[in-house]
Amino acid sequence: MFKRLVVPLTSIAAIVTLCMVVAPTSANERHAFSKDLYVIGKSATINKPVAGSVQVYRGNVTVANVIAGDLLVLGGAVVFTGAGRVEGNLIYAASKVTNADNRVRGHVYPLASVEGATASMTKNAIVASLLLVWLITAIVVTLMSGREIRLSSIEVRASGLHCFVLGLVAFTSFVLTAIAFSYLIPYVIGVPLLAALAVFAILTKVYGMIAVFHAAGTIVAGSRSRQQLASRTWLRGDLAMVVIGALILGAIRLIPIIGPIVWGLASVFAIGTALATKFGRREPWFLAWRPSEA
Amino acid sequence: MMTCDEYLQDPEEHAAHVASCETCRALIEELDDIVDVRHRAISLDALPLAPWEGASHRTWPLVAAGLAAVLILAIALFFASGVSSLNGIASAVMSAIPPVQPVVRVLQLTSHAIGVPVIALLFVAINSILFLLLRRSPKGIDV
Repeated sequence: MFKRLVVPLTSIAAIVTLCMVVAPTSANERHAFSKDLYVIGKSATINKPVAGSVQVYRGNVTVANVIAGDLLVLGGAVVFTGAGRVEGNLIYAASKVTNADNRVRGHVYPLASVEGATASMTKNAIVASLLLVWLITAIVVTLMSGREIRLSSIEVRASGLHCFVLGLVAFTSFVLTAIAFSYLIPYVIGVPLLAALAVFAILTKVYGMIAVFHAAGTIVAGSRSRQQLASRTWLRGDLAMVVIGALILGAIRLIPIIGPIVWGLASVFAIGTALATKFGRREPWFLAWRPSEA
Repeated sequence: MMTCDEYLQDPEEHAAHVASCETCRALIEELDDIVDVRHRAISLDALPLAPWEGASHRTWPLVAAGLAAVLILAIALFFASGVSSLNGIASAVMSAIPPVQPVVRVLQLTSHAIGVPVIALLFVAINSILFLLLRRSPKGIDV
């Protein structure tokens, strides 16, 4: 009974935690802690000078006075009017910024740079370029360690739900660990710890995605019988499965709305399968302790 | 008096025990029976395809075709949007690298918004779940 509840409960716990981290629920609607200002789910107008930073989640902000710190806007429009300016940086994601010329002393960062780049280029061209990079990386990694990729691919097909839950929990863990390490940035150890975490997370994602490419390619174009395998000249082998999987997922990625969702889900599976198989080595992450026998 | 366990640990050393023990004698007789091994013809084609079969085959024409298709698609899309293809691809690749400074700042702002106790609690809880999930051994096999 308990074992049946583990997977759904773990998934719910991971999703709730992720939501809590991504959209800070501890700050209800509009709160000011010390000198910072938090606005969640509603629009705000900065009429008075703010000594700290301003964070706006899922809402529009009109900046009519000075913000001494940074302005962070996720999912809303930013309009500068009157004497409005930001002394720090303007960081935004999925937002529209108007009249910001010469009003931001620091830098203006689109948090998701791909979205920022689409202002001057078509989004699909960027996705196709990134797919090219993915394809080259996948080919190189498969040539170097095809067996490991295959073992991880088998795991994601044999135990998909476990990989998904593990990926979800691991992603949440990465975010939380990054936040925890960000407290250590004032000290020397914080920056290398964050860098190490970032490298590990990127390696996990890249390796896992290649395993997911292999799994997708095998599901769609894998041989079902020995005769079928013998009759094929192109559609056989790890390399072919990875290329086919990458092309299929890349084509889906080009579809608006559905593409990013599918790619995101594939990323969760990827992190899960990479960690579940210890990057295809199939070794335990933790050694079990047993008392020594006399 | 020798026990059956002692005999079973070293039957050759304690061979005399068989003469006096009915149970052990029956066991030895049973083990001495001739086993009739019947060889059956195995059809390899009837067995399911193992994942490693044909896995090392490298289809270079497919790889080249895939790479060429994606490269041509990227160049064509950039050309259509009026951007230099080479610059466009280079910019797209560079744009995939997240900017470090704002990401770190967002982490710091988020941590202040949520609060240290909640972060600490979530950190311990999620990493404990991760630890438990990582203890499970992989299910898929490649034999």
